[in-house]
Amino acid sequence: MLGFLIGEALRDLHRAGRVAVAAILLTTLSLAALGGFWLVSTNVGQAAEQWRDRVRITVFLKQEPSAAETDELVDRVQAMPGVAAVRYVSKSEALGTLKEVLGKDASVAEQLPTNPLPASLEVMLNEQGATPEGARGLITRLSELPETDEVSGGMDWVDRLARGRRLLDVIGLGIGAVLAVAAILTVTTLVLHLRRQELEIMRLVGAPELVVRLPLLLQGMLQGLLGAVMAIWVLIAVYALAGPHLEPLVNQTLGLERLTFLKPHTVVGLMLAGTMLGGFGGWLARGRTAP
Amino acid sequence: MIELHRVWKVFSVGPVKVPALSDISFRVAKGECVTLHGASGAGKTTLLRLLYREELPTEGDIEVLGCDVPALRVREVAALRRSIGVVFQDAKLLPGRTVYENVAFVLRVLGTPRREITPRVFDALRRVGLSARAQAYPAQLSQGEAQRAALARAIARKPLLLLADEPTGSLDESMAGEVIDIIKDIWARGTTVLFATHQARLAAALHQRTLHLLSGRLVKDEG
Repeated sequence: MLGFLIGEALRDLHRAGRVAVAAILLTTLSLAALGGFWLVSTNVGQAAEQWRDRVRITVFLKQEPSAAETDELVDRVQAMPGVAAVRYVSKSEALGTLKEVLGKDASVAEQLPTNPLPASLEVMLNEQGATPEGARGLITRLSELPETDEVSGGMDWVDRLARGRRLLDVIGLGIGAVLAVAAILTVTTLVLHLRRQELEIMRLVGAPELVVRLPLLLQGMLQGLLGAVMAIWVLIAVYALAGPHLEPLVNQTLGLERLTFLKPHTVVGLMLAGTMLGGFGGWLARGRTAP
Repeated sequence: MIELHRVWKVFSVGPVKVPALSDISFRVAKGECVTLHGASGAGKTTLLRLLYREELPTEGDIEVLGCDVPALRVREVAALRRSIGVVFQDAKLLPGRTVYENVAFVLRVLGTPRREITPRVFDALRRVGLSARAQAYPAQLSQGEAQRAALARAIARKPLLLLADEPTGSLDESMAGEVIDIIKDIWARGTTVLFATHQARLAAALHQRTLHLLSGRLVKDEG
C-alpha cells in the first residue's frame, strides 16, 4: 500500500509539468532568501565574535605608579569579575609605541619637552566581561578606582554589530515567512489541481483518511525537498561566484579574512524546512477538500 | 436497505429559500431495483446525494444500509460509501489512466490485496463487455464505453447498493440499452439498484418499481 501511495505522489508530480516547476521554484526562492540572510548573518556573527575577542578596555592612570604600586594595582584589577588579563603600560612604553606608529615622523615625539602620555592598564576581557552588561559593569568598577583618570573602550560597537545581526535575522525570517506562505499556498493549489479528480473518486468510494492524505503529504514534502535542494545549490553558486569578489570588502569592513558558507547543520535545517513547508501545504490541501 | 421519512432539502440562494425536495418518504428493500423518474430539476440528483451523504437533509430521517445517514461522522461516512457504488451521467473516469487503471485505482485505495486486483478488474470489465478495451484511455472511449467503464469501476468492489444518476443521460438509444442491460445484470446478481433517469421509456424498460418525482415531490410510486 505504501508503495502505491508513494507511486501516486510521484506520478502526479511528473504529470504536473509547469505548475509543479512553479511551486518548486517558489519554494526555492523562499528558502534561498532565508538561506541568504542566514549566510550574511553567520558571517556578521562571526565578525562580531572575532572582534569581541579583541576588545580591550584601557584605563588611563592619573600618575605613574611605583613598581610595588603597579603590582598591587594589577592584582586588584585582575581580581575583578570579567577580567581575563591585565597588562601595565608605562609612560615610556606608551611613548615608544607612539614613535613606532609615527614611523619616520617619530622625531616629532622626541622634540617634546616631557612625556605627555599617561601610564595605563590594558584590560583583556573574559567571556563574562565580553558581554554588553559585563563590560558596562567592569567599566564602572574601573572608573571608581582612585588611580583612574579615564576609561576608554568597551563593547558598544560590538554590541551594535550583534544588534545588526539580530535585525538581519528578523528581516530574513520575515521575508522567508512571507515567501513560505506563498510557497505553501502554491503547493496547496498545485496539489488540489493535480488530484482533484482522484480526491473526488476517493471520497466517493470511502477511501480511508490516511490513504487520501498520505499522497498529498508525500507530494508536498517531495516538492519542498526539491525546492530546498535547489535553494542550497543557488546559495552555493552565489557563494562561489560572488564570494571572491566580496572578500576584500568584507575584510576591510568587518575584518573577516574569509567568508564562510552555511554550516552542515544549517544546510540540513534548510532541507528539513523545505520538506516540512511542502508537507504542510499538502496537509492543507486535504483540509480544503474535506467534505 | 433504504428508508426516507419526511425528508426535506431546501437550498438557500441569498435570502431566497428553494426547496429541492419536499416531504419525501419511501422505502427500498434489499435486492430491489427501483427507478427514480423525473424531469431535469425534479430533485433526483439531490435525492441520491442525500443517500451517500454528499448533502445533508434540511429535515427528515434517512437510513441507508442500517445507518442513520445524517448523524454519521466523517469516518462513518467513508465506511458507508465503501458499500455503495455510484455512477454519474459524466463517467468521471480519471483521464490520465487506462480503463484497467481506473477500475484498479478504487480497489487499490480501498486496500484490496494486490493479487486480487487483476482478477477482479477483469471480471468487472468482462461483465460490462470492456475486456478488450482495458488498455484504452478515457479519451479513446465512446460515451457508452466510458459509462460501462464507470459501471465496471462501481461493481468491481462488489457494492451492496448501486446508485446510478442518469448514467444513460448522454447516450444514444442503443448505448443506453447496453447500459440498462448491464444494470439489470448487476441487480440480478443481488445488488440493490436505485436508477435515476429523466427518460420514461428507460424507466419502463427495467420493468420494475418506479418512483416519480415532480418538482421535488414524490407524486407516484408504481410497480
